[in-house]
Amino acid sequence: MKNWLLILSTLIGLATLQLSWPAPLKIFNANPDFLLIFSVSLVFYFNFKIALVSGILAGLLKDAFLPSALAINTASFAVWSYFTFRLSSQISTENDYVRLVIILIIALLNNAVAGIQILSSGSFIPVGIFLRNLIIPSVYTMALSPLVFKLTKKISG
Amino acid sequence: MFKLSRKTIINFVFIACAVVLISIFSPFLKNSAQKTFNPHLSLISLLKRECAGIIFYHRNMVELARLKNEAENLRRNLFDLREVGQENIRLKNLLGFKQKSPLRLIPARVIARSPDSWSSSVIIDKGRYNGVRPGMVAINNLGLVGRVMESSENNSKILLINDPSQGISSIVQRSRQEGLVSGSLGANLIMRYLPPEAQISPGDIIITSELSQVYPKGLLVGKVINIGKELSGLSRYAVVKPAVELSTIEEVFVIVP
Repeated sequence: MKNWLLILSTLIGLATLQLSWPAPLKIFNANPDFLLIFSVSLVFYFNFKIALVSGILAGLLKDAFLPSALAINTASFAVWSYFTFRLSSQISTENDYVRLVIILIIALLNNAVAGIQILSSGSFIPVGIFLRNLIIPSVYTMALSPLVFKLTKKISG
Repeated sequence: MFKLSRKTIINFVFIACAVVLISIFSPFLKNSAQKTFNPHLSLISLLKRECAGIIFYHRNMVELARLKNEAENLRRNLFDLREVGQENIRLKNLLGFKQKSPLRLIPARVIARSPDSWSSSVIIDKGRYNGVRPGMVAINNLGLVGRVMESSENNSKILLINDPSQGISSIVQRSRQEGLVSGSLGANLIMRYLPPEAQISPGDIIITSELSQVYPKGLLVGKVINIGKELSGLSRYAVVKPAVELSTIEEVFVIVP
């Protein structure tokens, strides 16, 4: 119960931070995806069921503030949690650098899914802007992930 | 590497069903989530504004002096224009023109922005309770901002004009050439479907057209900064700089139709 309360309050805190990320800290209008980092980091520090449910909640929270009617993040966050769980049973994810690489790959995949979804809806995005939105937010997310890892570690006790 | 057992597949299907159900009920969940976040997002927005005021004190002081000077000049111009305006009203009355009714506006403050880089939207602190409804148009003192996508009890989501799903039927103010302005997630907008002989040049002002079903006619969209040819060679496009600085927008007015 205590774990759930901590996870929920952290989710609300991180969502608030992501929604009101200050404009001077945005790099090329990109902000880091704290909810994605948190949902992946939960797999490293909590059991899979908690991580999965929290991942779905994080995705739902992100979708609640997006204009799209499709709850794409709710689905994708659950998938990333599952893949991270499977991957962590195959390779060692204790090393910080390995975790950073996992976050980078997942952020790239998540951004690619979001971008492809927009393109498939018939909207036009120039190649440069597509690549910018794919790479910069992913790298920014990876760069700030150690802070969220520390937070997750702290709440896991 | 990923060998899936029967149990895993069943679990996965179960999770997928749960996700689909959540997606179906997401509109209800969205409203609750936005309602939960409204108080502290408003508080954080207030704190951010105060902090920015302290941090950028010197810049604001210089800006204030400049704006005071500009206000003095504009006041003088306004005095002259008032006279012209009065004359205009008299002449219009003489000609029997129907007076254009002034827009009814709902002022609102931006409390949050889109959580990802693939959409361009903001959340404002006014909702259905204040009379904001989906489909209404948002502007600010500089020009067109976007349109209301969703509105809950106390806040609303505005899709900005630089979102790629936006399409605004617009015209070039000088030549009345029509085109479709759409967002590209970047700082500029793109005006498409311009014929090769279109009379358009850098510096031209783009306004909303009366063909638009969503936006009222004559709202300022932006200024043309560049013109190019589509890959097909059949039409041209214009790069339009929006009149409103969309990345730092803080206040908007929602137009009540």
